Amino acid sequence: MNSSTGRKPTPRGLFGRIADHRLDYLYILPAIGVMLLVIAYPIYYTFYLSFFRTPPSLAMSDKVFNGIGNYITILTSESFHEVTINTVVWTVWSTFFATALGLGAALVLNRQFAGRGVLRGLLLIPYVISAVAASYIWRWIYHSDFGVLGAILNRLGIIDGKLNLLDNVNLVLPSLIVVNVWKEFPFAMIMILAGLQTVPDQLLKAARVDGAGAFHRFLHVTLPHLKGVMVITVLLLFVANLNHFTIPWIMTGGGPAGASDIWITQIYQIAFGRIRFGLASAYSVILFAVMVVIGYFYVRALTGNDDVRRRG
Amino acid sequence: MAQVEFQNVVKSYGAFEAVKSVSFTVEDGEFVALVGPSGCGKTTTLNLVAGLLDLTSGDIKVSGKTISDLDPKDRDIAMVFQNYALYPNKTVQQNLAFPLKMRKVPKRDIGAKVAEAARLLEITHLLDRYPRELSGGQQQRVALGRALVRDPQVFLMDEPLSNLDAKLRVQMRSELKRFHQDLSATIIYVTHDQLEAMTMADKMAVMSGGVLQQYDAPERIFEEPANTFVAGFVGSPSMNLLPATAVERDGAVYATGDGWELVLAPRNAASARASSGPGIILGARHSSLGLHDTETPGCIQARVFTVEPTGDITFVHVDVGDSTFVISVDPERRIAADQTVWIEFDQNKLHVFDAQTEKRIAPG
Amino acid sequence: MSRRSYNAGWSLTGWVFLILLLIFAVAPMLWMLITSFKSQFAALKYPPEFIPSNPNLEQYERLLSPKNEVGRQFLRYMANSIWVSTATTILGVAVAVPAAYAFARFRFPGRQALFFSVLFRNMFPAVVFLMPLFIMMRWMGLVNTYSSLIITYLTFGLPLSIWLLKGFYDNIPIELEQAARIDGCTRFQAFYLIVMPLSAPGIIATAIYSFITAWNEYVYALTFLNDDQKLTLPVGLQRFFTEYATNWPGLMAASFIMSVPVVVMFLILQKYFVRALTEGAVKA
Repeated sequence: MNSSTGRKPTPRGLFGRIADHRLDYLYILPAIGVMLLVIAYPIYYTFYLSFFRTPPSLAMSDKVFNGIGNYITILTSESFHEVTINTVVWTVWSTFFATALGLGAALVLNRQFAGRGVLRGLLLIPYVISAVAASYIWRWIYHSDFGVLGAILNRLGIIDGKLNLLDNVNLVLPSLIVVNVWKEFPFAMIMILAGLQTVPDQLLKAARVDGAGAFHRFLHVTLPHLKGVMVITVLLLFVANLNHFTIPWIMTGGGPAGASDIWITQIYQIAFGRIRFGLASAYSVILFAVMVVIGYFYVRALTGNDDVRRRG
Repeated sequence: MAQVEFQNVVKSYGAFEAVKSVSFTVEDGEFVALVGPSGCGKTTTLNLVAGLLDLTSGDIKVSGKTISDLDPKDRDIAMVFQNYALYPNKTVQQNLAFPLKMRKVPKRDIGAKVAEAARLLEITHLLDRYPRELSGGQQQRVALGRALVRDPQVFLMDEPLSNLDAKLRVQMRSELKRFHQDLSATIIYVTHDQLEAMTMADKMAVMSGGVLQQYDAPERIFEEPANTFVAGFVGSPSMNLLPATAVERDGAVYATGDGWELVLAPRNAASARASSGPGIILGARHSSLGLHDTETPGCIQARVFTVEPTGDITFVHVDVGDSTFVISVDPERRIAADQTVWIEFDQNKLHVFDAQTEKRIAPG
Repeated sequence: MSRRSYNAGWSLTGWVFLILLLIFAVAPMLWMLITSFKSQFAALKYPPEFIPSNPNLEQYERLLSPKNEVGRQFLRYMANSIWVSTATTILGVAVAVPAAYAFARFRFPGRQALFFSVLFRNMFPAVVFLMPLFIMMRWMGLVNTYSSLIITYLTFGLPLSIWLLKGFYDNIPIELEQAARIDGCTRFQAFYLIVMPLSAPGIIATAIYSFITAWNEYVYALTFLNDDQKLTLPVGLQRFFTEYATNWPGLMAASFIMSVPVVVMFLILQKYFVRALTEGAVKA
């Protein structure tokens, strides 16, 4: 609320209005301050650093201006192509399966039945536990000598002998995607479930009266209504996956032979393994640019989409 | 209790003036209704008294002392809100006690005062309930009680009855009026419902477009509206207004319009002459007009649009030129739509307004 | 097929799907639990025992006993995690509450732009900012301190907290505050005594979210902390693993212990947490 004493005529113009509201800004100052410190500055500094060759000693005063040299190095490197393909495969399939499983779970959970709350809680647990713990649990399940998965598949007669997932260049990425989907589908589920609760009951009843079966009600009433939530869920998952570091890092460290290396693990490796911050910064900028595009659609989906705004 | 003085009160938001130099005085113990259509500045004016908004210029005095610089909590006023604004997480008891607690009234006295207010408003049995468990009327009483416990200098009420259903509203109206009489409290009451204002208030302040149009006792406002806005706003159905041109002929003054002519009685002729131009507006209440089935001298011919029987009175809507008149007749009368009728004016109750200034011209 | 049996078939498919999904979600955690009751040696049997022939709490005793080196280390990591997560949560609420309130109530210039710039953060997972922040923390001498982690973690929860709480404040009628001020409160008292209690569910929701994200965070803790005594649990777990590589039951027990606080907290306050997650998407 404005803090002027009221007797003075109100100053006109933007600066006048800002001055009028000066006390209001105190409320948001801590929040904005910490965001600027932890986000705005790093963004700037990443851009800045991406044009420099930096010494491995992290003595930043010794850095050398390098123009777009870092970008050229990355884009022409042999590994970039492979890592990019890995990143796309990892991000797209993780997002797809997490959303699909989440959607299915949400649809089933959207009915009334005894134990629904308990079930929802159980399904959500993978999302809540730490990615580090999840990674170790799955590493143990996948273990090539003593893993329970191999044992089960052997007993069922599906395979014979050792199951080698994390050391196999062809199977490693799909195996990691399974872990990631395991951890993420509850998020999609809960988002979509919340979206489902906004589908107007009257509309579903009307469709029922009009003779639409369950499938058609879903297709023509529920799904269009879910569009907004789905878009946001997919975008959030997409960006989260694009930057998902913990699972690949702990489970394989990008291996074997880079078969599970994605952009973000590469960046970490370049920065903190090889201590080449300039190069890693350029890599980050590329990743960042991709995210800004997605972020644009995210904010638009949040603010522009009527389906999203409506509730109940 | 206290007197409240508004001195050239202005509230503006940038270039927009919500309240334009409003001055009037609410005497000690008076019940004043601030009335007008939505957006007329009445609630803004009330919030200025409460201190919820800051004055742009002017001054507001309570008992001769300016309160413009005081925080709401220091103004010794109480306010009842349209949505009651009861604290949802407090019981009725705690709601009533809250203003006393904030003023550091000793615990023992709080209990006594709350009990007294609850007894007065007959809500003693509700003290342990939460607001959401109460009906609209009960919430209304609690809101009133919360204002009452403090024994403030001035009560402010912002459309306190508008969230109630019609029947309850009528009941609460009389209770509020009784409440005012018993306490002889100074009350400033905002409403958009002119009937509420008419029935309850000692004085009405009619506002429109941020401007105070008229400040007077309800019957005076009804009988002598200051301008066409007040004439149209106060009274239900509202006053019939008929634009006309005053023409002087053979020593008499005629009001003429599209296909009709009315000779004005001397008191109204004098008013018409005093108008700033030939354009005048005639104003007549539904009850001051008569209807004839046959041609009658001194009457205007018109055509019936619809007939609205309400039981003990029937309203007939008739078209006169481009205007529509509402005329009340005895329910026994048989009148049909599209029938031709002749309207008779009671010239002693006819109002003449200057078409230019829209102000009423007092009869000569 | 008649419509009725078609619907029934549809419903049956749903149940089968749900059961399979439940197995997928729960089985790995069950396996963690089962393994954690085995001895180190028993875990390395092939084929594995689905029900431990000799279940024991040996691993838990070792991890939770301050008497041996492993236990001391593990408990220290846990204490570190509790401290960092709690501080993040409390500071986060303290910063988010006034900001959300201002965004909901005040009409200052730039309000929309600032609000959406805060939300935009939601889009950017932590790791992109890791490097420049690391350099910045080095300059500020904050590397290897909890402050570096707490400051960073704050920004994870803030966008969501502000969004969620703003929704609460938007729904609290301003008349309640006005009434309170007329009833004798200062502006701050009106907020503290009337508005705050009404937004308690939102505050709880944001607090849980902040706590869980801070508790689970790995990358920043990995990068910012290098003193072995200061590690938080996720990084500590990794250290633990590299040092005791073949002790899978121990690792599973540690994972389990680490998961207990967040899972318990989550199960008790599930509805708030779910609200925190979904509020942004279904209500703008």
